[in-house]
Amino acid sequence: MTTPRLIAERRQLGRRLLLSAPAMLTLLVFMLLPLGIMFVVSILQSGDYGGVKWGEYSFEAYRNFFYERDLDDTLVFNTDYLEIFQRSFWLSILTTAGCLLIGFPTALYLALQTERKRNLLLFLVTVPFWTNLLVRAYAWMLLLRNGGLVDEGLQGLGITDTGLGLLYTNNAVIIGLLYTYLPFMVLPIYTSLEKMDWRLVEAAFDLGANRFHALKRIIVPLAMPGIVAGSILVFIPSLGNYIIPELLGGGKTLMIGNLIQLQFGSSHNWPLGAALSFALLSFVLLAMLVYSVRFKPGNAGGHP
Amino acid sequence: MGTSSSEGTCSAISIEQLSMEFGDPGQGVKALDTVSLEIQSNEFFTLLGPSGCGKTTLLRLIAGFEQPSAGTIRLYGEPMQDLPPFRRPVNTVFQSYALFPHMTVAQNIAFGLEMRGLSKSEIGETVTRMLELVKLPDVGGRRADQLSGGQQQRIALARALANRPKVLLLDESLSALDQKLRKDMQIELKRLQSDTGITFIFVTHDQEEALTMSDRIAVMSKGRVLQVGTPTEIYEAPVNRTVADFIGETNFLAAEAVADGVLLSDGQRLSVAGDRRGAVTVAIRPERVSLAADGQLLGKVENVVYVGTDTVYHLNVAGEGGFRVRQQNRDGALSGYRVGDSVRVHVPSAAIKVLVE
Repeated sequence: MTTPRLIAERRQLGRRLLLSAPAMLTLLVFMLLPLGIMFVVSILQSGDYGGVKWGEYSFEAYRNFFYERDLDDTLVFNTDYLEIFQRSFWLSILTTAGCLLIGFPTALYLALQTERKRNLLLFLVTVPFWTNLLVRAYAWMLLLRNGGLVDEGLQGLGITDTGLGLLYTNNAVIIGLLYTYLPFMVLPIYTSLEKMDWRLVEAAFDLGANRFHALKRIIVPLAMPGIVAGSILVFIPSLGNYIIPELLGGGKTLMIGNLIQLQFGSSHNWPLGAALSFALLSFVLLAMLVYSVRFKPGNAGGHP
Repeated sequence: MGTSSSEGTCSAISIEQLSMEFGDPGQGVKALDTVSLEIQSNEFFTLLGPSGCGKTTLLRLIAGFEQPSAGTIRLYGEPMQDLPPFRRPVNTVFQSYALFPHMTVAQNIAFGLEMRGLSKSEIGETVTRMLELVKLPDVGGRRADQLSGGQQQRIALARALANRPKVLLLDESLSALDQKLRKDMQIELKRLQSDTGITFIFVTHDQEEALTMSDRIAVMSKGRVLQVGTPTEIYEAPVNRTVADFIGETNFLAAEAVADGVLLSDGQRLSVAGDRRGAVTVAIRPERVSLAADGQLLGKVENVVYVGTDTVYHLNVAGEGGFRVRQQNRDGALSGYRVGDSVRVHVPSAAIKVLVE
């Protein structure tokens, strides 16, 4: 009795597999395969002048992450890399918080405009994407350097009397990251605010909520999916960013991205670079896992 | 918010010369045109009119969501027009219900009470009482979007009433419900109004709904109030053609008023008391007249429509078609008049309204 149904089900399954094959293939070739190669590289011996020694396996790279080998070959706990990770996380958290602080009001302002004005403003938000990030980072160097526009402007206004020495500091890196990723915060929040039913805000006012309470109890909870998406879109790329700390941090403020680049570059330690990438990946996956548990689809309000 | 005067006799809401203009002053669209109204305490007051007549704008002005271009709104004597919505002791039941989707039913009802800073135990008690008032005691823990339309409607009511507003505003609140539920809610609303003693201002475009529930009705059209009165007054004595046309069914005949009656265009004469002279419109309700051999008005049957309880005859009278006569089907059978028959219509003089317009 169930046989014809089974056949039909099997046929449908086959068709589904066929239809999803291109996507699966893309994922396999461009995602899983490189990751596999990376993993293999991370457990190989490093070559003397870059590259790896194929066939010679070692977990040295992962050990290197926590320990360094002393002269007498004993392992000593080494916090250098962990500190760089910690700094990267800290700078990324500050960047995300800053983007949220500036991005949410911006998105709210955008969502409250008339449709014509809104489209123009949205267009302006995306304008920075027209120019290469490298060029924009150099522009920030000119702005932030000693005697640059920011220094001169502040001195001209009489706010400061000496140079701030902003360039090549953590602050410069945060400013650069903030600038780079702000649109990625504004756009998802705008999207969730734009489709919000504003009559709910009217209802909140009607029930005696002032502007602050309406914002806290109604607007922010309903914009939560956008806030979370924006935070992820800012936090994760900030964590791995390479150009901004390299240029605005002057190589003094290393972040994970620079550290990884260094291993594949002048340090000639590919396995360590690959291992660091995996460490970063695992942190990111952990964050995504927390997100997906906390904000299940269908639980769009994000209310606990 | 203290009330200075005694609430029994004082107007709950007093609206004076209220105007609302969208767009540039002077050339914008007038949504409300110098409207004045007095709404009594503990009254079920309905704003009735077709869409775009300004009734919802008036409601939003009372709630505080819009600012009037001119005029004043007083609530128990206190001017309201400059207060933000959250400072006004009025609450609204929205057409879309506007329940907060990220909160449970109980949290929705508690919202206004929390905003007023009541204690947790007071809030809990009120929420329970409100859920009982709207006869949904067990849904407090559910999310708003898990309820049916009728239940959402009741929760929206409970949420608004929980704040014990001086005036409750209801914006087309029943229009999203199906026919059966709507009839139930009409009775329910009336019960809630008399139970709570709160002044209700109800906005609707449904004249039957307005007639059923209201103590008084304001008929609005194009931003103006045409007539204010009890349902009987509005139905029996409409002040002009627009009101007569909007409330119930009406036949209109062009006529000329003469000494002891009116002359129709084909010379037929209907006797009616009155001292008007010249061109007038005669309004006659279809259910007030009957087909009878000794009727004074001559017509020709154009169409016969059977609608269950009644049969409606469409007649051509004085060269104009569409004159309706509604006959109750008391004997459960058609009277036997057919299309093309010449018939006589009995028109009692009390059924004739002479309108100048």
